[in-house]
Amino acid sequence: MDGFFSVFDMLAWFPENISTFGQELDNLFAIIYWVSVAIFFLTFGVLGYFLVKYRYSPDRRGYNYHGNSVVEITWTVLPTLLFAAIGLYSDDIWERTKYSSKVPTADVEILVLGKQYGWVFLYPGADGTFGRNAHNDRTARSLMSATNPFGRDTADPAGFDDVMTENQFVVPVNANVVMRGSSLDVLHSFFLPHARVKQDVIPGLWMTIWYNLFKTGKYELACAELCGGGHYGMRAEYEVMSRTDYDKWLDARNAEVNAARTPQPAPTATTDTAAVASLR
Amino acid sequence: MSTSTLQHGSAAEHGHDHEHEHHHDLPWYRKYVFSTDHKVISKQFMLSSLFFLFVGGAFALFIRWQLAYPGQAVPIIGDILPASWATNGVISPEFYAQLLTMHGSIMIFFVIIPFAVGMFGNFCIPLMIGTDDMALPKLNMWSFWLVPPAGLIMMAGFFTETGYAAAGWTSYPPLSAQTGLAKFTISGQTLWTISVFLVGFSSIMGAVNYVATVLNKRAKGMKLFDMPLTVWALFITAIIITLGTPVLAAGLAMLFMDNFLHTSFFLPDNLVTNSTYFGGGQPILFQHVFWFYSHPAVYIMILPLMGIVSDVMATFSRKPIYGYKAMVFAIAGIAFLGFIVWGHHMFQSGMNPLLGTTFMLSTIVIAVPSSIKVFNWLGTLWRGNIQFSSAMLNALAFVSMFIIGGLSGVFMASAPVDIYIHDTYFIVAHIHYVLFGGSLFGIFAGIYYWYPKMFGKMLNETWGRRHFFWTFVTFNLTFFPMHILGIGGHMRRIYDPNVYDFLKGLGGINETVTIGAIALGFSQLILVGNILWSMKWGKKAPRNPWKANTLEWAAPEHPGHGNFDMDITVYRGPYEFGVEGRQDDYWPQWEKGASVTVHHHTIAVADDTKTFGAH
Repeated sequence: MDGFFSVFDMLAWFPENISTFGQELDNLFAIIYWVSVAIFFLTFGVLGYFLVKYRYSPDRRGYNYHGNSVVEITWTVLPTLLFAAIGLYSDDIWERTKYSSKVPTADVEILVLGKQYGWVFLYPGADGTFGRNAHNDRTARSLMSATNPFGRDTADPAGFDDVMTENQFVVPVNANVVMRGSSLDVLHSFFLPHARVKQDVIPGLWMTIWYNLFKTGKYELACAELCGGGHYGMRAEYEVMSRTDYDKWLDARNAEVNAARTPQPAPTATTDTAAVASLR
Repeated sequence: MSTSTLQHGSAAEHGHDHEHEHHHDLPWYRKYVFSTDHKVISKQFMLSSLFFLFVGGAFALFIRWQLAYPGQAVPIIGDILPASWATNGVISPEFYAQLLTMHGSIMIFFVIIPFAVGMFGNFCIPLMIGTDDMALPKLNMWSFWLVPPAGLIMMAGFFTETGYAAAGWTSYPPLSAQTGLAKFTISGQTLWTISVFLVGFSSIMGAVNYVATVLNKRAKGMKLFDMPLTVWALFITAIIITLGTPVLAAGLAMLFMDNFLHTSFFLPDNLVTNSTYFGGGQPILFQHVFWFYSHPAVYIMILPLMGIVSDVMATFSRKPIYGYKAMVFAIAGIAFLGFIVWGHHMFQSGMNPLLGTTFMLSTIVIAVPSSIKVFNWLGTLWRGNIQFSSAMLNALAFVSMFIIGGLSGVFMASAPVDIYIHDTYFIVAHIHYVLFGGSLFGIFAGIYYWYPKMFGKMLNETWGRRHFFWTFVTFNLTFFPMHILGIGGHMRRIYDPNVYDFLKGLGGINETVTIGAIALGFSQLILVGNILWSMKWGKKAPRNPWKANTLEWAAPEHPGHGNFDMDITVYRGPYEFGVEGRQDDYWPQWEKGASVTVHHHTIAVADDTKTFGAH
């Protein structure tokens, strides 16, 4: 029976929230939800009452009344105040989560690219800085290709240690993660349901996506913008790690990059995609 | 002498464009096919929209089957599906994308807009303003005759190499530019663009005509504020169409060039793709152009039905519309605001978040005129004498479902909430509450209400009620759970939700929705059966079966070319029900008589010197 009633408790269906601003967004949803529930019962109550009370009877007539300006003004002003309050409160949260001036200082910076059908990520590596690529230098866009999605300049030493991953990424817990997202081909949307993050990524532009996650564990990234037949399978996994685990992970990637570089200097993608249930 | 009377003298006033209509020996193809009679054109729109309703509905059922039972063969017809649609009866992901595109495009461009604007606009405007036909009958004929070819062109996508268009009804580039195909390739998407361009053209021709007709051809004595709300709504809708649709046409022309000729209006440089492009374009530009039309289009799809529902509710509550002028201003307010809110479709698109603030605030303001309308509808019911006819039941469904659809709209209007629910099933739930729960119930109300005047026969009430009951129940069973899917994070337009761990708990809801959708689809057969059965065996309709006030009920039972058999002069507003001092509880607009207004009441007086305009 509990299962049955849970259908009516719509708020219980949210996936668990793991981001700092996520709670605020969920609360705002809940506020609008309860206001809506109240308006719903109010209007449906009035509607139902009128339908029963004023149902047809042959010995009655409809009341000839054309309306009243005081009433009209009242039910114009009241919703205006209510909706203005919701709007202003929403805007406060919107500004803090999305305005570019409010993006926090990055603890970790990652580049992300959507493509048909998957996601690739680029970390700055051991030196903490990216080499020349399509994000920090527009002219490097001409280097972008299916094998070198970020348009990395192989001649730039700062980029030797950059780490690329496919369909999975890792972020540290309790850190400001700032991602710059774009796309190789068509529109995609970077959707982290548990972190309450969604941002379309657009070929030719770099979008700033930021979040701060407070819970470790494995979660999913989905594409939320129709991008072709394989859209549904454009899934990636990410893991929120403790700071130590994250550093270990970075060291391991760093070692891999170095090992791959020693015989032949060329950028390599880590090929541990088998861990992800790739659907392509 | 009224301008609406054809037989005497009006031809001289209107010039030679009506000359042909006086001859009743037109060949059959001019009477039934290439007719310039607004009522025939209205029926043509009704027929084509009903046809496409079932086509679009069938597409939807394929989608629902796949979502509830991913990877299972479609039952019964699975074996006979073409290889490009399904393998071993299982729908392919590519075909799934085509399905959702075609479902949306057909339902919007070939069902709801033609129903709301084409069918009701044509039928109601001339009759309700008491005139013989549209101002520009030939243009009117062409506005219909662009629709079938446009429909065929869109459906012809089936015969192209890549199948139907598959970029969603919104057709965002670069996906819709199909950068993978060579120049000059005609794909389903190319055909889609041409087709929507043509229906847009049809809309514009219809709209220009409506504006001209309403402004020039009203019956004698009919001031603008004597027009029924249906006519007001259609008039304002026509203005939206004339302002918005050309912008869509421009966007589609650019998209067509990107798609077919590989120009780069919307394509940035260095796309990683098989084909060559010049580059330098901006994908978000298309979204701005598209939504500049398509948000007002949402109101094109709902405003006419708001008008119709108001008329139906006044008639069956036996009461004047509460706050008639407020209703008109609310429609105008919605129409105006509709042009400055398009960005709320793009909160997550990468548009500057600063614009998000602007569009959020303007969007939330739209909730105000919408709630004014709802309150006035409730006020209309207050102290009425409510008759639950099929038309009234559907009108009440419109109001109640529009309340739910309006409230769910507040969620996505709030930009921070929209971050999470954008592109999820919450949006799908919302749009169906507004466009099915709203528009389609309004369309049903209109069909039940005007069928007697259209075909001269009464629709069967018992089957009308059954149709309403099943539609209402299964509609809610289908679309309400979609809110929950959306809150669970279920993205729209995905082929198989089971790919994602976080969606695994939603399978049962997806099944419920599908069962509801199948029942909903089959319930509509009752309507079609009723329409066809009543055409032949229905009771003969009296001239004014609902005892309504508006001018169309002054026309004969089954009006022929030219509409009216008497002179029409308008003496009062359209909603004088329950007037004190009268035997009948209604007072038609065309009936002579004087009245005075005391404290928002109308009272009939025996003063024959006052002829009209006494309210």
